[in-house]
Amino acid sequence: MYRKQVRRRRAVLALLIVGSFVLLTITYGQGSNGVQRGVSAIFSPIQAVADGALKPARDLVNWFDQTFDARGRNSRLQDELRTAREEAVGAGAALAENAQLRKLLELDRSGAIPSGYEPVTGRVIARSPTVWFSDVTIDAGSGDGIRVDDPVVNGDGLVGTVSAVTGGSAQVTLIADHSSAVSAKVVPVAVQGVIRPNVGDPSDLILDFIDSTKHVHKGQAVVTAGWRSQEIESRFPPNIPIGEVTRASIVVQEASQQVHVRPYADLRDLDLVQVLAGGSRG
Amino acid sequence: MILTPKIFARLVAIVVLGVLFQLSFFSQVWVFGVSPDLLPVLVISLGLLGGTMTGAVTGFSVGFLLACLLVEPLGGASLVLLATGYLAGLFRERFEIHSSLVPPLLCMGLTVFAELGFGAVELMLGIDTAISGLVVRDILLKGVYAFLLGWPLYLGLRRLLRPALVEEQVVRRTRRPTVLGA
Repeated sequence: MYRKQVRRRRAVLALLIVGSFVLLTITYGQGSNGVQRGVSAIFSPIQAVADGALKPARDLVNWFDQTFDARGRNSRLQDELRTAREEAVGAGAALAENAQLRKLLELDRSGAIPSGYEPVTGRVIARSPTVWFSDVTIDAGSGDGIRVDDPVVNGDGLVGTVSAVTGGSAQVTLIADHSSAVSAKVVPVAVQGVIRPNVGDPSDLILDFIDSTKHVHKGQAVVTAGWRSQEIESRFPPNIPIGEVTRASIVVQEASQQVHVRPYADLRDLDLVQVLAGGSRG
Repeated sequence: MILTPKIFARLVAIVVLGVLFQLSFFSQVWVFGVSPDLLPVLVISLGLLGGTMTGAVTGFSVGFLLACLLVEPLGGASLVLLATGYLAGLFRERFEIHSSLVPPLLCMGLTVFAELGFGAVELMLGIDTAISGLVVRDILLKGVYAFLLGWPLYLGLRRLLRPALVEEQVVRRTRRPTVLGA
């Protein structure tokens, strides 16, 4: 009797292990499947309710964390504010100049400026618990016009892309996820590269594969490059702010063609995001 | 664990509520820059209460539901949490839990194991980018939070599943014999 029980236990365990490997093999590298879409469709409304109900409790816990964090940030922000004020005066003139230059170059007609995008606002209702995956689930899906690969932004800058959609929800892979890669350029020097994550640290991104002959400096802004060729184009429209260069050692730039970038968007604390739906992609 | 339909329903509710609570609350709060992970603690506690099979099956179920809701590749989280629950159950079957410190300490140790397991699965599937040293801090702090969460969760689950627990049958306390003339 006991031996039979042990044999049955071992069989169940073996079945679960084999099942896990089979599922992993079948579903790795694919988007959503029927099972996930079904489960997600059932649980999305419940998650949305749970998210709303637990928001006050979340805010309370995060308030403590942010208070500790704010003490360190305060002095840095004051320095940044001083610099920003100085730059604001020049920026006004630059904006006017920029508008004139755009008119001259007729960028609108060439299609480099994104047109036809319809922003769809969504609220983050779930987030991956492990540090290895940086993705969130939002409460808007294909029913709202969202498609896979649509770029996602918030008020500060680029957040990520839609990696899977169901009727009422969408999975957004953040730019801090290990699978993310965004073609980007440093302004104003126009050095191009690819924004890659530094897994485990969502406040640090790496601008990789940059031209080591052109030097990038700390404080310069990084925006999406939004390249396009005759047949294909980047999934990101050009000039969406990504972040600012925080570490740009000349030695490292020449040796490994990398600089470190702090994303403008706080990828740990996302609440409302906008999906740029409806854009044309090749 | 004596599995009746009522206990089975309770286990399903615990798994579903645990996953929803993790995604809607714990994954979105930050304590010293790290969000606590309730799910390994849940699986470990159930493994400690119910043994290897309960631990393995709930671990697999929690991982499967988590991957479904996050639209991640199925199987990875299931495999890691299955192993975590199985190890917790194995401890329960091999050793007596004499101290109330044992469950939270096991939660801490096995949560670190689970987080390393998640990393190992990801590395096995291929990560083509840099990995920050902060991953270590994340894993260690998750272990500390697991210790803190493990204590109340284990006690709460034990209370909830008491009718099904083999060693939790109420032992009637016999009256101490009266010694005449003492």
